[in-house]
Amino acid sequence: MPVFHVVVCGGLVPDPLQTLEPVQGPAGWGLKNESMLPAILDPWAASALFEADSLARANPGSRVWLVSAAPKAKLQQVLMALAQKAAFELVAVDAQAGGFSDAAECASALAAAVNSIAGLDRSRLLLFGGWESASRGAGATLAILGEMLGISEQFQGVDQASPKPDGSLEILERVEGGRHQVSLLSAPPALLGWATGSLPEPPNNPQVGMLNMRSAMPALQKAAPSRLTGGGLALSSVELPSQRRDTRVVKDMPEDQVAREIVEWIAEK
Amino acid sequence: METILLLVAAEEDGGLGKPALEAATAARELAARLEGAKLLAGIFGAQAGRAGAALAGAGFGEALLVEHESLARARFATDAAACQALVAASGASLVLAPATSRLQRVLAAVSARCRGAVDTHATALGAESGAVHATRWFYRQRMVGRVSRERRPWFLSLEPGVFAPHAASGDLVSRPVPAPLPESRTRVEGLRSPSSGAQTIRPDAPLLFVAGAGWCKKQADGLAHVSEAERLILGFLGKSGASLGGSKSVVDQKGEGGALSFLTHLNQVGQTGSTPRHAKGLATCCHGEEPHTVGWRFVSGRRAVNLDANCGWAQGKADVLYVADAFKVMARVNELLAG
Amino acid sequence: MTPSQPEFQRPSMRADVVCVGFGPATAGFLMTLTQGLAGADGAPALESRVMPGAPPQVLCYERADDLGYGVSGVVTRGRGLKESFPGLDFGSLPLYSEVAEEQVLYLLDPLGASRRPALVRAADRLLKSLPFLARDHAFRLPYVPSFLHKKGGFTFSLGQFNQWVGGLLMSTGLAQVWPASPVAGALIENGRVEGVRLADQGVDARGNLEPGYLPGMDVRAALTVVGDGPVGQVGRQLDRHFGLPKGAQRHEWAVGMKAVVELSPDCPLKPGTVIHTLGYPEPEIFGFLYVYPNRLASAGIFVPSWFDNPGRTAYRYLQHWMQHPALWRHLRGSEMKSWGAKSLLESGIRGEPFLVGDGWARVGENSGSTNVLTGSGVDEAWTTGVQLGRAVVELWRRGLPFDRENLEKAYVRRRRSSWVEREGRAGRKARDGFQKGFVQGMLGMALTGFSKGLLGWPGRPLQPHQRVPTLEKYAAGRLDAAQAAELRRQSQAGGRGVHDGLMDAAGWPRPTLDGRLLVSHQDALLKGGKVRASGRYADHVVILKPELCADCGEKVCVDMCSGQALTPGADGVPVFDREKCVHCGACLWNCAKVAEPATGQTNLDFRAGAGGLHSAEN
Repeated sequence: MPVFHVVVCGGLVPDPLQTLEPVQGPAGWGLKNESMLPAILDPWAASALFEADSLARANPGSRVWLVSAAPKAKLQQVLMALAQKAAFELVAVDAQAGGFSDAAECASALAAAVNSIAGLDRSRLLLFGGWESASRGAGATLAILGEMLGISEQFQGVDQASPKPDGSLEILERVEGGRHQVSLLSAPPALLGWATGSLPEPPNNPQVGMLNMRSAMPALQKAAPSRLTGGGLALSSVELPSQRRDTRVVKDMPEDQVAREIVEWIAEK
Repeated sequence: METILLLVAAEEDGGLGKPALEAATAARELAARLEGAKLLAGIFGAQAGRAGAALAGAGFGEALLVEHESLARARFATDAAACQALVAASGASLVLAPATSRLQRVLAAVSARCRGAVDTHATALGAESGAVHATRWFYRQRMVGRVSRERRPWFLSLEPGVFAPHAASGDLVSRPVPAPLPESRTRVEGLRSPSSGAQTIRPDAPLLFVAGAGWCKKQADGLAHVSEAERLILGFLGKSGASLGGSKSVVDQKGEGGALSFLTHLNQVGQTGSTPRHAKGLATCCHGEEPHTVGWRFVSGRRAVNLDANCGWAQGKADVLYVADAFKVMARVNELLAG
Repeated sequence: MTPSQPEFQRPSMRADVVCVGFGPATAGFLMTLTQGLAGADGAPALESRVMPGAPPQVLCYERADDLGYGVSGVVTRGRGLKESFPGLDFGSLPLYSEVAEEQVLYLLDPLGASRRPALVRAADRLLKSLPFLARDHAFRLPYVPSFLHKKGGFTFSLGQFNQWVGGLLMSTGLAQVWPASPVAGALIENGRVEGVRLADQGVDARGNLEPGYLPGMDVRAALTVVGDGPVGQVGRQLDRHFGLPKGAQRHEWAVGMKAVVELSPDCPLKPGTVIHTLGYPEPEIFGFLYVYPNRLASAGIFVPSWFDNPGRTAYRYLQHWMQHPALWRHLRGSEMKSWGAKSLLESGIRGEPFLVGDGWARVGENSGSTNVLTGSGVDEAWTTGVQLGRAVVELWRRGLPFDRENLEKAYVRRRRSSWVEREGRAGRKARDGFQKGFVQGMLGMALTGFSKGLLGWPGRPLQPHQRVPTLEKYAAGRLDAAQAAELRRQSQAGGRGVHDGLMDAAGWPRPTLDGRLLVSHQDALLKGGKVRASGRYADHVVILKPELCADCGEKVCVDMCSGQALTPGADGVPVFDREKCVHCGACLWNCAKVAEPATGQTNLDFRAGAGGLHSAEN
């Protein structure tokens, strides 16, 4: 049975249910009340983490690290919601990374963190993360990180990675038209940028949580600070779209008439 | 002075996809705004030579080609090497590419190889006093910003569906570029459609039909009618040719009353789903505020059918909201379409 | 699949202390406990009792998806809080503002729709005839009574504060606070609480096993600390098992519903302004407006259980309250940023249950700490937590077991000699008069307040279901029997409560929504304070005997549901939609039918469940 060393990279993003508003401060663009907004692990990175956990449990001897660059206090808070769901060893980078950060600069900070992981076997390495993030949504950080780590096999929009007994993996990537491209990767190392994957959110397991926190709290305490300065990205404006439409609300119209209007509208060129 | 390289992949038949032709228009328009800009095309694929013709008449000085059998299908290692060779050969300061799955897979990594910078999913390009800027969305299409960079080469991927596709006229000179393509541990086996039955995601359909969680909820009689909902929705998709999107809550749904069997996460729009581009969108049984409704940010004409007159999916976001029972309405719509 | 199959063996683990619920009381407890457990260098100075040689194992399980999710508009004198953080610059806490100005407004009824007793109407007429006394249909009391004022106090965000304290606690490494972890119940064995059982996961809404079933873990602990609030499952389980002390009752309740709003730029209200209101939209409904920095404010109302209206509703009354001219002049042009609701146990010290037993202790609102005279609960809850924290550290150091006797000496004695107890006792008669009526209630509060608890207006508290009138009786004079029956039928058919029909008949105009402050009820759920529900757990709102609901003519549970999560149901049995539930627990005490006469358990049980509001702005 193959043994994998899975490094999952994931940033924090505001809880998607929150209302967001951009503001320009002395340090550049950010979100209004950013420190007060509840945060979560980026949803796609969370998919990657859950997939990593599942892969590691199915392949005994495998290990999972979670590498995250975020303000320590926020990361600690998010860990409490996350740590019961999957087993991992935390590698924390104390940095303020958000939607307006530069992908390459974030990748550099993450590369330093990955390179610092003791006991990481590069020949078994699967570098996981989200194919995009809910903040920048660029799909660039992980790819650049892969490049920095010299990983020549990269996959993006991954929904499934099925290991075979010989250590190869069948990988399904999202492509246009709601289809998947199917590839066979003969062996790690490789980079997989995950889409939603196919696993449901795992249940909260208190024992996993206790175990995780034993290593996570010291990791948080020794998190190396990393100052992101923008990486040459200049933002001349950020604004909310003016999107209010003048909605015509149709009440008390018989269903037949509603249906006719809709059919006519569909037929309009 | 900028040198603009349009980086595109040739399709298996030697043509260029619509997103590539749209990017060609974007490149041409940007070049026109930059005095003295040089415009080149870089094409890779198994039939790259044949694809160049599709770009004729767009103002490209020449088309640089990397043509090899191993480029017939998208694969990171070989695609990235081909792109790197094209960028190097062009001496480009700006690299534009369509944000297709194939180019998105390699573009950021190639930018790192070329010691450049990258921004993706641009929806507009502009130039002021010789300085290029791009518009892109942040936080899942919740806010829009204008970005620029000093660093070169600057790689930009362009969202499909934004620019008009280029229509070829005349000829384009092409020049092969040598590219050492590496061995790869990846073998591409092919494409696979979801096993859950009908193909419901149709990016080129004029209409997006968005199903919300209301389809699976208990109706006025206290019961859920999931199989009827499935029949109505599939019936409508079959007759209208619409593409199917689902809200996060309906895609996530399970347990009580069941969920729509043919919906997968691939169908999800908004939040952690896609933001597809269609001329029209019809949302049914959806409810949600701003974070949820980004799913139809890029849908032009929008109508909704919902029992709640104050539905957040519709108020201020749809052109028309019908306060009506979607089960009854869609049953009648299907009858009318069949007739 | 059945839970008894061997593959479903329930996991178990041991801890020294397990806490249920992370609110201000548990936060105060854990803060004090972890400080006491740590040595000068921050490392543990005491060792675990259950795992000798290991550091103390202190765990806390919170139902909500994050620490500090929920709702509470806080203005407090903050005595306990200030004592716990002597060197802290409270000004650094989000939304902190010192109380700068306090007003009490008696609101007249500008619409003529309010149900006002004759005496109130007479007083209103008098005030209206003296326009120099009443501006914008409101009479400002010349001064704020001493028992009500918050002079020297401050406003702040409880959600943000809880997050901040949670972070501090976690960083000590001496306690773990786990969100999204509902506790199903206490493990009571031979009269001793041995710990708690977490809720099962991987079950459907009715609790049937599904693929991925994960039995809730048993967390066995030397001490179980119950701080799960007024409607908490574990607190109520202890009451059922151990009973209540003689004379104790938990009959008085209220729903507090509020919005955090961003005031318009031209609103002149200064941060630290605190406005209390009474008299409108109905005399029984009290309101508050607290102004924070950055033009933010909390605006809300309390709807009490002694408001004898079978169609009582908080949301629509909140909209009418906001539009009262005396408030609207401040709120016009503002925007709702978040919204929420919670139950308040207004019996206060009258509802004090047994505070300790073998292996367990209770803190906070469910322990009867809320002061019903001063209208203060957060600082009191925090302080009870601190008292228990000190007690536990003392017992730990002395190697004494956490049994009833030791906890009585170390915790209950501390509590009895504290200001929380003293002031709570002074306020115990304060609300009795409201059992008789609004006027008697106001007089009773004044009597109790000014006599420092010696006097009050007599009134025997009744359980809400014992006093809720029929629809016909309440609507008499506005709707005849046939019209009331028709309203009930329409409510049933339309899947909604009766309150709109009742309020329409009384002359309340339907609020015109502006999409900013005045938004639909469902949109309020989506504003900042959004609602999420995990599909892995069973429904936490359960109808015990459906046949009782089928016969129930006054579905107060539906009208009072803060999130419209309960609807009448086609067969007369209310239907619950957890994706709209904000866990306020109002359904529990608004249920008009009793399922277990011996315990007073209503026909609607409120159990352990995950999710609820996603908002930390409150």
